[in-house]
Amino acid sequence: MTKTVKFAFAAGLLMMMSTMLNAQAGRKADKDTEEWRYEIECAGTGAEGTYLIKVWSFSKKPQVAMEQCKKNAVHGVVFKGFGGGQGCTSQKPLARSTNADEQFERYFENFFADGGSYMKYVSLTSQGTGTEKVKVSKKEYKVGVVVTVQKDLLRRDLENAGIIKGLSSGF
Amino acid sequence: MKKILSALFLLALGTGIAFSQAKKPTLMVVPSDAWCNTNGYMMEFDNQGTTVKIPNYKKAFQENPDLLLVISKINGIMAERGFPLKNMESAIKSLEQTAAEDAMMTSKETGAEAAESPVDKLKAIAKADIIMQLTWTVNVTGPKKSVTFNLQGLDAYTDKQIASASGTGAPSFSSELPVLLEEAVLSHMDNFSNSLQNHFDDMFANGREVIIRIKVWDDWGEDLESTFGPDDEELGVLIEDWLADNTVNGRFSTTDATATMMLFEQVRIPLYYERNGSQRAMDTRRYVKDLSDYLANQLSIPNKLTTQGLGRATIYLGGK
Repeated sequence: MTKTVKFAFAAGLLMMMSTMLNAQAGRKADKDTEEWRYEIECAGTGAEGTYLIKVWSFSKKPQVAMEQCKKNAVHGVVFKGFGGGQGCTSQKPLARSTNADEQFERYFENFFADGGSYMKYVSLTSQGTGTEKVKVSKKEYKVGVVVTVQKDLLRRDLENAGIIKGLSSGF
Repeated sequence: MKKILSALFLLALGTGIAFSQAKKPTLMVVPSDAWCNTNGYMMEFDNQGTTVKIPNYKKAFQENPDLLLVISKINGIMAERGFPLKNMESAIKSLEQTAAEDAMMTSKETGAEAAESPVDKLKAIAKADIIMQLTWTVNVTGPKKSVTFNLQGLDAYTDKQIASASGTGAPSFSSELPVLLEEAVLSHMDNFSNSLQNHFDDMFANGREVIIRIKVWDDWGEDLESTFGPDDEELGVLIEDWLADNTVNGRFSTTDATATMMLFEQVRIPLYYERNGSQRAMDTRRYVKDLSDYLANQLSIPNKLTTQGLGRATIYLGGK
């Protein structure tokens, strides 16, 4: 009985530590996003109203990096834009103001929170296939994932929220 | 009672401000002369010994489904952005229909026909404030095909290129031309819209850029070098002074000035004017009407005002 209790206690402790480590890795990944520490590149021409992009994120845990890629993809489309080349066309960010992230800090805090509304606009194209994983240091992985971002829907929602200006605003 | 009146006044003022919006420019996609020439949609005619080629848009719309596809895609994307475009094919058909109706129309009482001056005839063309000039070429290298796409936004009045998007798509072994064209439109429209947005932002910040011409009727007896006003100043200088006082930040350029004509370019006019306590959208006609009134009322110069769309106006001095 004592052995079972000890085992259960140890297992619980391990699970708690694992959850804490994951949460810590997630927080680090969020910080990286805020500090623009991710790479975004064009992966082809998406269907109408979407961008097809490849996003590279960094983390100790590949799974965390892979999840963070979704957040980084939307972050990149809103604030960073991406380059072209090899038949791809470069695209400017949706937010035209350079300090939109600071200007609407509260809005984007909720928007990019875990499970936030950014999830509505992004989906993995291949669920793992085409995903690349590179070990960049002893403690860190760089994971690249191809995602689809619903940019028309995203732009419309940001316009409605007053974050960005629509083409016809003022007329 | 006083409070109710104040509240009503504020409400009316608020409504006036809320509904005051700038005049929306019209946009239309037009295939470029280069595209029409490459694809054989040109008409040739003899103009006093010189062969002149002009694009045959009607033939292009009737015979080229790829052109219809590209225009339809662009129209769809712009409509989604809240900026529906004028459709050139429909505009040409409407013009033909209106011309046919006008030709048949007679007065019930006198049998008179609708008056139409030669200038009216000249103006009866498909037009828009901003022309989206479209060109694409298909590049073939062995079995591979790619499309070079070029979309230019041209201000119909200032002749400036105000927006653009161009580039060559990825070469493909298997994709058909319509698919490559669709990809080209999808890849470039956001960049085009962005540069158009920059133009609109500049317009809201610095006023609409227009062109104003001053001409003199040859039987007037005075010209732009004649002196007017209490200080006996040259008319040309008085007109420049008026523009300096009434443009946004005094911005305009006197491109040409002679005794019989003046050309003002890059004239920045405000987007709104105030009337009866509320703001209304300003266009070139409304703006130049104030100059026309100044010339007529303060300098006693009879004049005639004509306009072309939102961005070009001419005042003829010396009579109506």
